[in-house]
Amino acid sequence: MRSINHQKTRPKNLNLLSVKFPMSAIMSVGHRAAGVLLFLSLPYFIYIFQLSLTNDAGFLQAKGELQSPAVKIFCLISIWALAHHFIAGIRYFLLDIDIGIEKKWAQKSALFVTVLGSVIFVISFILFYL
Amino acid sequence: MSYQAKGLQAWFLQRVSAVFMACYIIFFIWFFLNTEQMTYPIWLNWFSHPLMNIATGLFLVQLVIHAWVGMRDIVLDYIPNDAVRLITLTCIGFFLIASSLEMIRILFSLSFNV
Repeated sequence: MRSINHQKTRPKNLNLLSVKFPMSAIMSVGHRAAGVLLFLSLPYFIYIFQLSLTNDAGFLQAKGELQSPAVKIFCLISIWALAHHFIAGIRYFLLDIDIGIEKKWAQKSALFVTVLGSVIFVISFILFYL
Repeated sequence: MSYQAKGLQAWFLQRVSAVFMACYIIFFIWFFLNTEQMTYPIWLNWFSHPLMNIATGLFLVQLVIHAWVGMRDIVLDYIPNDAVRLITLTCIGFFLIASSLEMIRILFSLSFNV
């Protein structure tokens, strides 16, 4: 904690409805939300990893558990989170080296990231349920 | 590293860990899709291979760094109260350490198979 009074001096805008949300903001929120989701899903996937490596029966049990309805939905959301986080991360990398830094292109690439993430979600959905 | 460069250090760590994890994930998916029927022996052999075992351990380290920097950024952005912030950061730290210990235990429990 560097400064005690940063709460007083920092500008704040807590009314989210007063803020405009361009495509890049929606993508960025998705990037953060996906990151938190992946963070929270960690214990479950470590548990599955542990189970799958114990023995033959454990492997089959892990496989079966991943195919149960509730876990399937959870996995689907995790796949979206990983895909969106991954693609958005690549976009940030390109922005770091000044590729697509112009406002117009930044908005287009943000839309592209969001759409591609959704497409991967839909493809996984089809593979999971059809 | 000086205090002024702390932000740059976090920024740099976030990118380095992202590159490593991206490579690992791509390799993981590639291997998984190239295996027609994933069975226990293939799965076990894969993670018992020294390179894959160590790479997974490295992945874990990168993941902890990446998750810590990311979660810390979010906490610093949305939690202005010092006490709540400190408690949340401590919980995140414990969560990551506990997850790491469990992962390390799993990886160490596999004997190398060359």
